[in-house]
Amino acid sequence: MLGTTLLLAGCPSPWPRPSPPSSPGPIPPAQPPSAPVPAPSVPPAPPRPQAAPRENHLSPATRSLVTQAHRLLAHGDIDGASSTLDRALRIEPSNPLLWIELGRVRLTEGDAHQAEVCARKALALASGDHAAQAQAARVLADALRAQGRNPEAQEVESRAYLP
Amino acid sequence: MPAVARSRVRRWRYFFILSGLSGILLAAIAAIWVVHLDRVVTREFQGRLWSVPARVYAAPLELYAGAPISANDLEQQLQALHYRRADAASGPGTYRRTGNAFDLQARRVRFIDEQRDAQRVSIHADNASITSMRLADGGDLPVFRLDPPVIGSLFPIHGEDRLIVAPAEVPALLREGIKLIEDRRFDEHRGVDLYGVLRASWANLRAGHVVQGGSTLTQQLVKNYFLSDEQTFGRKATEAVMAMRLEAHYSKQDILVAYLNEVYLGQDGARAIHGFGLGSEYYFAKPLGELGPAELALLIGLVKGPSFYDPRKHPERALARRNLVLKEFGDVRLIDTAVARREAATALGLRPPGGSYVPAYLDLVRRDLKRNYAEADLAAAGLSVYTSLDLRAQASAERALTKNLLRLDLKSTVRGQHLEGAVIVVEPSSGDVVAVVGGREVDTSGFDRALDARRPIGSLVKPAVYLTALETGRYTAATLIEDAPIELKLADGSVWAPQNFERQVYGQVPLARALAESMNLATVRLGLDLGLPKVAATLERLGLESAPTLNPSLLLGTVEMSPLEVVQVYTTLADGGFRTRLRAVRAVLNEHGEPLKSFKVQVEAAAPPAAVYQLDRMLMLVPTHGTARGAAARLPPGLVIAGKTGTSSDTRDSWFAGFTGNYLSVVWVGYDDNRDTGLTGAQGALPVWADTMASLKPVSFDPIVPDSVEDRWIGFDDGLETNPTCSADAVVIGVPKDTRLPVNPKCASPPSPHVTAGDKIKEWLKSIVH
Repeated sequence: MLGTTLLLAGCPSPWPRPSPPSSPGPIPPAQPPSAPVPAPSVPPAPPRPQAAPRENHLSPATRSLVTQAHRLLAHGDIDGASSTLDRALRIEPSNPLLWIELGRVRLTEGDAHQAEVCARKALALASGDHAAQAQAARVLADALRAQGRNPEAQEVESRAYLP
Repeated sequence: MPAVARSRVRRWRYFFILSGLSGILLAAIAAIWVVHLDRVVTREFQGRLWSVPARVYAAPLELYAGAPISANDLEQQLQALHYRRADAASGPGTYRRTGNAFDLQARRVRFIDEQRDAQRVSIHADNASITSMRLADGGDLPVFRLDPPVIGSLFPIHGEDRLIVAPAEVPALLREGIKLIEDRRFDEHRGVDLYGVLRASWANLRAGHVVQGGSTLTQQLVKNYFLSDEQTFGRKATEAVMAMRLEAHYSKQDILVAYLNEVYLGQDGARAIHGFGLGSEYYFAKPLGELGPAELALLIGLVKGPSFYDPRKHPERALARRNLVLKEFGDVRLIDTAVARREAATALGLRPPGGSYVPAYLDLVRRDLKRNYAEADLAAAGLSVYTSLDLRAQASAERALTKNLLRLDLKSTVRGQHLEGAVIVVEPSSGDVVAVVGGREVDTSGFDRALDARRPIGSLVKPAVYLTALETGRYTAATLIEDAPIELKLADGSVWAPQNFERQVYGQVPLARALAESMNLATVRLGLDLGLPKVAATLERLGLESAPTLNPSLLLGTVEMSPLEVVQVYTTLADGGFRTRLRAVRAVLNEHGEPLKSFKVQVEAAAPPAAVYQLDRMLMLVPTHGTARGAAARLPPGLVIAGKTGTSSDTRDSWFAGFTGNYLSVVWVGYDDNRDTGLTGAQGALPVWADTMASLKPVSFDPIVPDSVEDRWIGFDDGLETNPTCSADAVVIGVPKDTRLPVNPKCASPPSPHVTAGDKIKEWLKSIVH
């Protein structure tokens, strides 16, 4: 399971992913003639600083605020829910789970574009956390579909963050 | 009866009839005039009385287990909110502290998203943070906020600020004292005090010039509201009639409170200080209710001549006037004579610079309101404006700026001219503006440099050039570029030959080093290769609102921006490429607690997270290997920051823009008249930035590595892949996954067998499983 997770993890982005450049790069006039890279070929020596896989959680404080936001939303108080999530985000601004929640509120509100941005932000912050990425991708796909961008939505889904 | 006598009688009769008629006419005219004045006075007074300004609040402090708030911090906050320490918690607004445990009786408070009832909670803290919280009845309390502090009031439409005082908030000594000094017979007269006029005339006659005014408080109020300052008989008559009509309609209390809220008490730059509420805040940084007899006496004494007795400009006069007022208080036993004597021996006790008086921040609040709310909505009475201001961050920024500018002025060779500066602090992820300092005189609201001073940003522009390069995919932080002289023929025929700051030439350097050491030649070459329009477009995507002129010198930051505009651009870099509209106002509630409709906070995806990560990695090298190395000495050891120095030509402007894991701040230092400061960004702005951040409990900047990127080691000087055990100058950069980097031959380990991605994952899985 973990294996597929890793293979499939990746970030759909609105920008074409740059093809990995090889250095020395092709361009600037300043560049030395691209001599073939000397002997020690792939992979180079150094131990690379590795980003460890991560798992995001809500703290008790933010969890209680999310619960409160859900309650407000259930009563149709979208402004209240949104302010409460803002409050949680001030405590944990980089928690993708909170951005996912905010994306859902924006969807409920009918603001699909903001929902899309929240979901993209969640995806970026969830790097290395498959479960959070899958949730963010689901919100992203919904937000794209709500804007009539079905092919993009399908593309996000086909990246199969979703189990 | 002789004819003569008859005609005399007739003449008298005509005379009486005529004068009777004209008398009636005059009386009618007078009556109409009085009715007219009556209307004017009641309409206006009614309007003023009920035109309650919007109250402006700073952000409430959030408490939760782990929040970086020590027990002493907490107590300080409670006292700033006027919570009273009591032995046994006794009613809302009090607390009991036993060691590090607090038993708090929180008041009923309105927040943006809820009305919270008075609540009793117990909070434990140690000397670093909150450790646990519970409701007094034992219930769970995962998160709890303190009352939002009031930072001012303003009329959102015309921007005037007042701190309106309600009748119940007027201290008894102020009520009685103002009558004693300004209008002894206030409680008896009906708007005009004939006895007072006679007494004043007699005194003036004896002195040969005007020594006393006979105006009642009511007349003074009327004069303030409706009339000009000219001393004509007609104006005096109008004033008297209006005063009497006002008295006929309203209670003495209404009139006195209106007077206390209206009276002119001084001038703060362009802004008039009206009312005792604002006066108290302006002169003492305390709410009116907390002033002692000496402080009240000073304010009451000021009414007679706010500029003549200005305690900041003429402290001796102000002191003498205050003590005279205190003596009168004692003479009529408003206060004990012994107290009067003791109080007269105290200093003026004016507010030191800083405190909760934040004119520059309120400027931003006004601007936000205008931009994000409908004018009609803002006209409503009794609005509450909730802002993001963090009073502690504000105080830190003010302190850091004042202290450093004093130090730099001492070292400067420029005499008779003071360095100026501006600081803005924001939370990048939310776009919340938490502090704004518009100049070193933090207590005057003159020119707001943070918002309005547009200056060339110098090298602060460079990250936009490097981001454009990374986005093309043709460059990484390790790519070598040429730092060599360059001459350009400009459109007007002149030749532009930029130079490096140290007038040196560095040759082949990796991108990361060119940015960290802020090399001009390398940057210009890189920018020209990318194309000016592309660089300009990047700046606009990041948040610059007006398109910059496409001149090659744009690449070295001739573009002029205000500190606020710079903050907007850097916020996008600090937040992974997401651009959030900066905001000071979080919400406005009407008097029923309902939110006004506003433009929503907009977040936009402005730059690809992968490219921004690579750039941020380079900006992290500026403080470790580049121009901002001086910051470390002022920051907690080991704190990771990212940022960029900026210096405009002839060192006229000194800038630093940078961020930690929780805050972003931009600092500008320079002279108002644009003269040479002799200070680079590292010498002028950086110390202010570092001191500000150091007192904000900073956490390290630790950007999340996007899936498509990985961290690698390269040599800072040569850009070759290496490792820290082999090269002393090894630095971490981010590059797109599987980028081939040329390897430092001396640092290569024996070639390892070719590994596929699949093998790597298997290996990694094994390492996890075992």
